[in-house]
Amino acid sequence: MLYETGIVTDDLLESVLPSPGRRARGPYAIIECFQEIPCNPCTISCPFGAILPMGDINDLPELVPDLCTGCGICAGVCPGLAIFIVDESIGDGRAAISIPYEFVPLPAKGDTVSAVDRAGNHVTDATVTRVSGVKKKGTPLVTLSVPLDLVHQIRFFQQDKQLAVSQPLMTSEKEREDKQSLSEATLICRCEGITIGDVRKLVEEGYTTVDEIKRISRAGMGPCQARTCGPLIADLIARITGVPVEDVEPSAHRPPVKPLPISFFMEEESDVLT
Amino acid sequence: MAESQFHLRIESHPILDFGDREPLTFTFDGQAMTGREGDTIASALHANGIKVLGYHFKTGRPRGYYCAIGNCSSCLMIVDGKANVRTCTELLRAGMVVETQTDRGMPDVL
Repeated sequence: MLYETGIVTDDLLESVLPSPGRRARGPYAIIECFQEIPCNPCTISCPFGAILPMGDINDLPELVPDLCTGCGICAGVCPGLAIFIVDESIGDGRAAISIPYEFVPLPAKGDTVSAVDRAGNHVTDATVTRVSGVKKKGTPLVTLSVPLDLVHQIRFFQQDKQLAVSQPLMTSEKEREDKQSLSEATLICRCEGITIGDVRKLVEEGYTTVDEIKRISRAGMGPCQARTCGPLIADLIARITGVPVEDVEPSAHRPPVKPLPISFFMEEESDVLT
Repeated sequence: MAESQFHLRIESHPILDFGDREPLTFTFDGQAMTGREGDTIASALHANGIKVLGYHFKTGRPRGYYCAIGNCSSCLMIVDGKANVRTCTELLRAGMVVETQTDRGMPDVL
């Protein structure tokens, strides 16, 4: 579901929530980072060692809640805006959530905004209690006061309440298929102007390797040298013929790996590599 | 054509500071335009409201920004007489003569 909707599911949220005891004790970071990508600013920015060093830069960050002070440094440096600071200890049935916000204008302390959920739907009106990092480098954090029981539903806010409208998620199987289906006119090789329909016709005529498609259609022989279409054509052949993509014979790769002017090969003065 | 009328420049950004950048004049298909220091050719054209960078030599379809990292072939234009320049990564210089490309483009040495 995460990869289809982009919205964190309850079980994923559960997997990164600290224990009830820790949550009641004071502010903590919640890191909603669930896709392995080469990224580590959270790990190296934490002055308390509360985000464990990564063995591999693609690893997901791991928070040690007992070392976390909820200072917000990691939330201000996360390029994915995936870290939030939650304080469930303020009492009166309220909680505070600090949200990284990279839009202008910033709201001001005391403003009423519409707190929205991960899908952008209005949850409740909320008051801005703090705007930090305005003069500093990094992403400003906007802190909202919200009802305690809603704090883990709320992950963003809209200053213009008209924008916080309910929008149904694209959840049905059919809707997702429609969204993912590709038109025959979709360009697959932009350099040579070859469409999915062109490739399908060739595969049906019996050209079933990337090199065969290339030689008959010129797909992959333009300026980009198949860097865009090569894997797409292999995938398309696999889909049409019903074989695993690993079994589609790949094209031969040869230098040069980037386009060069002919003068470079004619031993003329060339500044290409300087 | 004044660049400002399109309002495509991000003047105020919560994270990044672009500073004051020198204006650079160039021409696009004979038309005088102004970009800024640090622009690529394509970003300067975009700021001037030019979103069609060329037309495909075979299909005739208009081409605009696609990968913006010099990987695809969507932004190829003729720059100072040289065809197939990847304008999305080539930095703008004052006085450049930029032209729409509609064919494969001939090697400049032939």
